[in-house]
Amino acid sequence: MKADHRATLLRRQTFSPGFFSVTFQCPELAAAILPGQFVMLDVPGRLRPYLRRAYSVADRNEAAGTVEFLVKTIGPGTAALEELPEGSPARLLGPLGNAFTIEDLPRGARVAIVAGGIGAAPFPLVLSALRSAGVAGDFYLGGRNARELSIRARFDGLVPGETILTSDDGSLGEKGFVTEALARRITAGALYARVFACGPMPMFAALARVVSESNIPSEFSTEAEMGCGFGACLGCVIPGTEKPFIVSCSEGPILSPEKIAWA
Amino acid sequence: MSLAVRLGPLELRNPITTASGTFGYGLEFTDFVDLSAIGGLCTKGLSLNPHAGNAPPRICETPAGMLNAIGLQNVGVEAFLTEKLPKLRELSATVIANVWGDLEEDYVTVVEALENAEGIAAVELNISCPNVERGGMLFGNSPELTRSLVGKVRAATERPLIVKLSPNAPDLVESARAAREAGADILSLVNTFVGMAIDPETAKPRISFGTGGLSGPAIRPLAVRMVYQVHKALPDTPLMGIGGISDLSDVLEFLAAGATAVQVGTANFKDPGVSGRLVDELAAYCERKKTSVPQLIGRAHRVAAKVGGEAGAEG
Repeated sequence: MKADHRATLLRRQTFSPGFFSVTFQCPELAAAILPGQFVMLDVPGRLRPYLRRAYSVADRNEAAGTVEFLVKTIGPGTAALEELPEGSPARLLGPLGNAFTIEDLPRGARVAIVAGGIGAAPFPLVLSALRSAGVAGDFYLGGRNARELSIRARFDGLVPGETILTSDDGSLGEKGFVTEALARRITAGALYARVFACGPMPMFAALARVVSESNIPSEFSTEAEMGCGFGACLGCVIPGTEKPFIVSCSEGPILSPEKIAWA
Repeated sequence: MSLAVRLGPLELRNPITTASGTFGYGLEFTDFVDLSAIGGLCTKGLSLNPHAGNAPPRICETPAGMLNAIGLQNVGVEAFLTEKLPKLRELSATVIANVWGDLEEDYVTVVEALENAEGIAAVELNISCPNVERGGMLFGNSPELTRSLVGKVRAATERPLIVKLSPNAPDLVESARAAREAGADILSLVNTFVGMAIDPETAKPRISFGTGGLSGPAIRPLAVRMVYQVHKALPDTPLMGIGGISDLSDVLEFLAAGATAVQVGTANFKDPGVSGRLVDELAAYCERKKTSVPQLIGRAHRVAAKVGGEAGAEG
């Protein structure tokens, strides 16, 4: 059941300027969260940011009672998190939204995980779940440049398969978009039972074409500005194919690409 | 101690209710709030047919608040009656059905559809939504249109009738008077203020509708002033105060300004359990201060009269 949990910031790990992870003590959430679910985080007592911010849970340690988030500093919400002193209280409303579908994958299957920049946020937990299920996974991580790819350090030793890095400027890994790297490997014969993806809308639009052409069932963790995170404000809608709008927080955030009306 | 309040024909178990558009159909909040413990909930605005709402982006954060142009997305009155209301009845919620339409006939048809349903305590007319092309705020911004619409709806319902006023009206007191004279039992105020936010990089509005309704603590002093003014002009009209209410002191402020009950709005998004907590905090306050809700209503006016001043509220 979702609830507004008390949490305490335990530690922050910085990967590069503006890219960091935060780990909170929050045993109830650590026990309840599923791969791909998110929380609405509030740093109490502030008027800026006023609304909570949505964060996918990157990982959890059930024994230690902790949950971790991967963050890129973008606006006042993420900036507040970057400056929050260790030991500070926070509220974590969750678990919210649906989860990636992992349990029906047969042992020995192979999937692709495609992340654009900080879209890598939900995947440590997903990769651990895949490993436990005996499923192989290739991890495609794309970014604008080497700095954006600094979060790759968080995935060392986690990937049950190959790690493929791409950068728009060619400063690290293959030059170009992450979706192109995936398409090249599929063309070369890579077989994937499923694609799990998270990233910006342009990446999703390109990826939707790739997975549709190769008929790979896919799950995209969508991102839209959320006011509440539990289906009350209806602020985070995404244009849909089966109905005008999909409410990203309560019907997603994980959606199959054929349900989304790509612009 | 009882916190019950009476607003004309409507009795509420306490003065803490939730504002339309910020509380879904109530059912989204059952993990956080005992719906039978709050004074009531105002549903998402109901229209005759299901309504898809505006294209995204629909919301953006602003200092101490937010702009929205959801565009009154809702399931339509029929789905509300068959899918939502039975569950609300089971949960013993006090349901205030918020209604909107493009045309007068639309409002009347929705109110008629609700009329025989069991489990609706009152009807609230939204004549103040700034985020639709037709209807909505157009009615609220003209005392003549307000009078005509409220009169027609009044004839269609025996239920307590609340009219939700627009802070964007040229003369709020005149609109309030028109609604009251046309048969409104209760006035709720205020809806959102029309605002705008522009992305400084792209110079495009940050929400697709262009303008949006501003809500949250940012508008509270404006809303308090309006409740104060309307109560002063129409002291016998029961008011529900709305505008950035997030904690107990905000509730006390609106009661002092002349509201008999309040509607908690945007705070529900940030803090979904807030309405239930405010009921407990108000009870504890009355206990501690040896006072009661009726004694708190309109206090600012009595204090102002005692010191012989106007408390500067018209300044």
